[in-house]
Amino acid sequence: MSVDATLTAAPPWRRRFSDSAAYPYALIAPALAVLVVVSLVPFLYAVYLSLHNVEYGQVGDWNLLDNYAKLLGNDRFWNSLRVAGLFMLVAVPLEFGLGLAGALLLNQQIWGRSLWLPLLFIPSMMAPIVVGLLWKIMLAGSWGLLSYNVIERFGWLPGTSVFASSDHALIVLGLVDVWQWTPFMMLAFFAGRQALPASPYRAAAVDGADAFQTFFRLTLPLLTPLLVVIGMLRFIDAFKVFDSIFILTAGGPGVATESPSMLAYKMTFEQWRIGESAALAVLVWLAFFVLCNVFFQIAKKRLKAF
Amino acid sequence: MTSPKPRTWALSIVAAACLATSAQAQTWSYKDAAKPFAGTSIRVLDEVTPLQETMKTLVPQFTAETGIKVEYELLNHFEVINKGQADMLSRRGYYDAVMLHGIQMGQMLAAGTIEPIDGFMADKALFNPGLDLKDLTPRAYESLAKFKGQTYSFLNWNYNFVYWARADLLNDAGEKAAFKAKYGYDLAPAKTTRQFLDIGEFFTRKAGQMLAGQPLKTDFYGVLHEGITGGATVSSVWENIMKNYGADLFDASGAPSFNTPETVQALAFWARMWKYSPPGQGEYSLVDVPTVMGSGIAAQSIAFSDFVLGIDKPGASAYAGKFTYGAIPVNADFKGPRSAGGEPSALVINKASKNKPATFLFLEWMIDKDTQRKLIEAGKGGVPIRTSSFSMPQFGGSQAAFYGAMKSSIDVVQAKPKVPKIFEIYDALGPIVQQVGQGKLTPEEGAKQGQAKMLAICSKCTL
Amino acid sequence: MSIALAPRPSPGWTLLTAALAAVLLFPVAWLAAMAFKPDDTMFVRPTVWLFAPTLDHFRSVVDAGFLRYLGTSVALALASTALVVLVGTPAAYAFARFELRGRDDLFLFILATRMAPPICLVIPFYLLFTRFELLDTFAGLTLAYLTFNLSFYIWVLRSFCRDLPVELEEVAMVDGHTRFAVFLRVVLPLLKSGIVSTAMLCFIFAWNEFLFAFMLGGQNVKTLPVAIPLLITSQGVRWGEMAVVGMAALMPVLVAVFFLQKQIVRGLTMGAVKG
Repeated sequence: MSVDATLTAAPPWRRRFSDSAAYPYALIAPALAVLVVVSLVPFLYAVYLSLHNVEYGQVGDWNLLDNYAKLLGNDRFWNSLRVAGLFMLVAVPLEFGLGLAGALLLNQQIWGRSLWLPLLFIPSMMAPIVVGLLWKIMLAGSWGLLSYNVIERFGWLPGTSVFASSDHALIVLGLVDVWQWTPFMMLAFFAGRQALPASPYRAAAVDGADAFQTFFRLTLPLLTPLLVVIGMLRFIDAFKVFDSIFILTAGGPGVATESPSMLAYKMTFEQWRIGESAALAVLVWLAFFVLCNVFFQIAKKRLKAF
Repeated sequence: MTSPKPRTWALSIVAAACLATSAQAQTWSYKDAAKPFAGTSIRVLDEVTPLQETMKTLVPQFTAETGIKVEYELLNHFEVINKGQADMLSRRGYYDAVMLHGIQMGQMLAAGTIEPIDGFMADKALFNPGLDLKDLTPRAYESLAKFKGQTYSFLNWNYNFVYWARADLLNDAGEKAAFKAKYGYDLAPAKTTRQFLDIGEFFTRKAGQMLAGQPLKTDFYGVLHEGITGGATVSSVWENIMKNYGADLFDASGAPSFNTPETVQALAFWARMWKYSPPGQGEYSLVDVPTVMGSGIAAQSIAFSDFVLGIDKPGASAYAGKFTYGAIPVNADFKGPRSAGGEPSALVINKASKNKPATFLFLEWMIDKDTQRKLIEAGKGGVPIRTSSFSMPQFGGSQAAFYGAMKSSIDVVQAKPKVPKIFEIYDALGPIVQQVGQGKLTPEEGAKQGQAKMLAICSKCTL
Repeated sequence: MSIALAPRPSPGWTLLTAALAAVLLFPVAWLAAMAFKPDDTMFVRPTVWLFAPTLDHFRSVVDAGFLRYLGTSVALALASTALVVLVGTPAAYAFARFELRGRDDLFLFILATRMAPPICLVIPFYLLFTRFELLDTFAGLTLAYLTFNLSFYIWVLRSFCRDLPVELEEVAMVDGHTRFAVFLRVVLPLLKSGIVSTAMLCFIFAWNEFLFAFMLGGQNVKTLPVAIPLLITSQGVRWGEMAVVGMAALMPVLVAVFFLQKQIVRGLTMGAVKG
C-alpha cells in the first residue's frame, strides 16, 4: 500500500502546529462548539426551566425541586417508564435477532443482492410519521386492511381491535418498530459481516467447524464491537419513540401506550406545564447518562468495544 | 306669498337630520377605516376545514379593498392549537390573530395573552356600525367572547355535533316492519336517547345476517362514536350526553361535580352505546369517525357536522347520498334544557401583535354580513355564524335535513366554561370515560375516580 | 484452498430473500397502490383489490404546492448533512486516534446529547429560537438538526477510524508530513466509504424528521413530513394524497441508496483493509 507520492514535506512552522498537543483539540473544537450551542445550551435552558415555576411559558420564581417532586409523584410518569421499558424489551431484541439473521441471509450467495438490499432497507428509509399512518391503514379497528382480512376473518380479537386493546396495543407498537428498524440493523450487521477478514473463516472450514460453531465462536465475537455501538443507539432511540405512538394510539387505550415522549407531548403542547416537562427531559437524560456510562465501561473492558 | 308653516320647518329639519345620520352610517367603509394602516401586513392563523379553505379564496378581496396584506395560514386541528398557543404564550407575536377553540379560552385568558376588543369597538373610526353583532348566534357568541365584562373576540366558527344516520336503512320497508314488531313504534331517525339505543341494538348484526334484504358480508354496527382517550371524546360525552341527563363537569361555583347520580346515569347510557359499536371504537378519533361511517359499517353516529360534508358528497364514499341527519337525541326523562355539543371558535388578537387595529379590521371583515354571504355562496353551504344566514337558499332544498339538524344544535350550543386547566382535566378523564365505554369500569366507579382526578387538578376550576 | 470461480448463487437462499422482501414490503406496496385508488373504494369492506386508477391525488398534491416542500426538504437535508460531515469527521478521527484528557467523558457527552427525548427539548428550543429570531429560518433549522445528527455521525464514524490501520499514517509521518496533511491525504480517502454511508444515514434522519421541522419551521421553511399532517383534515384523512406524499418522500432516498449501496456497504466494511 503506497502513500500518495505527491505529498511533500511540510515547512517546519506548519509541522509544529499539527505536531503540538493542541492539534487533536483543534480537530475536535468545531464539533464541540457546535454541540455546545445546539445541544448543551438548550439542555441547560431546560435545566433552568425545570428549577422554576413556569406559568404559561413565562418563567417565574425559583422553585427548587418542586417540578421534580411533582413529576416523581405523578403516577403517569412511572407508567410511562414502564411503557418505555416494555416497548424496548419487545422491540430491541427482536430487531437485533432478526437483523442478525437477515444479515446472515444476505451474506449467502444470492442472486440480485444489489437489488434486494435497497428494497429491504425501505422501512428504515420511510419517514416515521408515514410509517405510523401506514400501519394505521393496516391495523385500524374494523377498516384496517389486515384488521378486516386477517384478524376479523380468523376471529383473533373478538370484541376489540389491536389498538383499542390494552393488552395488545403496546406489543403491536413494538412490532411496528421492529418492522421499521430491523432493516437498519440488517444493513449494519451485513456490512459488518462483509468486513470481517476471510482467513479465520478459511481456517475454521479447514478445522471442520459447522455453521453453528462458526457463527457463535467466530462471527459473533468479531462483530461484537459493532453490535454494541448499533445496539446502544437503537436502545436510546427506542426509548424516545413518538411518531408512531402519536398516530396510532395517542397514548391509549387508557394510558397503556403512553411513552415518556407521549406524556411529554401532552404536558408541553396542550397543558403548557413547561417546568415539569423540562424536569422530565433532565431526569431521562440523567438516567441514560448513568446507564450509558456503566454500559460503556463494561463494553470497553469486557467486550473491547471501545 | 305666505311664510312657511312651522310644521313644514320641523319636517324638513327632521328629514335633514335623518339624511345626515344615514349618510354618516353609509360613509363608514373598510377602505376609509384602513387608510392609516394601508400597506401593513398581518398574519392570521386559522384551522383547516373546508370552511376556512373557502374563506381563503375570499381573503384577497379584503386586501383589494383596504390595502392591508393578509397572510392567512391554515393548519390542522392539533397544529393550530400547538403552534397558536406557542406563539401567543412565548409572546413572540408572529401571528397577529390566532384561532382559538372555545376550550382554549380559559387557558389563554389566564395567561393574559388575548387583547380585548372593547377599545376597538368603541373607536368610531374602526368599528363598523353595520356589523350587527346581535345577529351572531347569541348563545355561542355570548358564552365564547365575553368574560368579566370584557369582549375578547367575535364568533368565527360554529362547530357543532349532529346526529347522523343511514337513511337507506331507516327507510327500508322490511327493516321498518321488523323494528315495529320488536319495539312497538315506527322506525325513524332517533329523537330520544331511548330510541337511539333501540335502533343501535336493532341494527347490530353479524356477517351473514340480513340487512335491508341483503346478506351482510361483514359485521354491522348500530352506533359509532369517537372513543379515543384524547380528542373530543370527553367533550362529546360532556355536552351531548351528560348535560342531557342533568349532569355536568363543574357545578355553579366552578368546582368539579363529576360524581353525581346524574353522571352515573349518563355514563350508563354511554356504556350501553358501546355495546352496539365496532370493536375498534377505542382507537377512533374525531377524524376516524367519518372514515368509518363512510365505509358503511354503522347505522348511526354523533359527529361534527362539518366532517359529515366530506363524506356525504359524490365520489367521497360509496354511501354518499344515503345519509340523513337530526338533532342530538334528547333524554325524554330529563326536564331541563336540552344540550348539544359544539365548539364555538373565534380568532383573537394576539396581545403580542404589533398591528392590532389593522387586525381588528380584518376580524370585522371576516364576520361582516357581506363576507359571510359570499362565504356561504362560494362554499355552497357551510356552518353559519349568523342567525340571518339560515334563510339563505344554500341551506334549503336537498340539504334541508342536514341544515335543520345543524340549526337545532347551534341554537343551544354554548362555549365551554373558562377553565384554564381544561386540557389536564380532559387528559385525566379521557382514560376513565373510555374504560367506562369499554365496560372495564362501572359508571359508579368511573364517576368516583373521575371526581377524584379532577379534584387533584383544581378545586375551583373556572376562572 | 483457492477458489477460481465465484460460487454459484443459491436459488434456495434467493427465494428466501425474495419471500422476506415480499412480506416486509407488502404494506409499502399497498401504500403505493393507494396513491392511485379513488376515494370511494379506499376503505370499503370487503376490500377492493382491483380498481380503476386515478391521478386525482397526484394532481391535488401538486396543486397544494408540495413540490416546494420537496425542494425545502432536499436543501435542508443536504445542508445539515454537509455541515455534519465537515465538522464531525475531524472530531471522529481525533477521538479515535488521540489520547485526550477526558476523552471518554467528552465522548459520552456527545452521545448524551442524543439522549433526552426531542419532545422535551422542543419548547426550550422554541423559546431560545424566538429570542434569537431563528424561527422559521433555514439556518435555524439546519442548526437544530445538528443536535441529533452530529453526535450520531461522530459516534459511528469513530469506530471506522479506529479500524483503519495506524501503520499507513505512521509511514507517512515518518516521511516528514504533518499530521494534518496525513489526515487530509491519507486518512480521508480511506474513510471515504465510511463517510458516505454514515452521511447517508444522517441524510435520511434529517429528511424524515418531523417534530423540529414543525415547531421551529413555518411558512418559509416547510419540509415534506410537516406537510403530511396538513392532509389530516376535518373531512377525514386525505389518504390518497398522503400515499402520494409518503411515496414521494421515499423515492429520492431509495434511489440514492440504490446507487450508493456499494459505497455504503463498503463504508461499513472498513476493516476489510486488515485482510
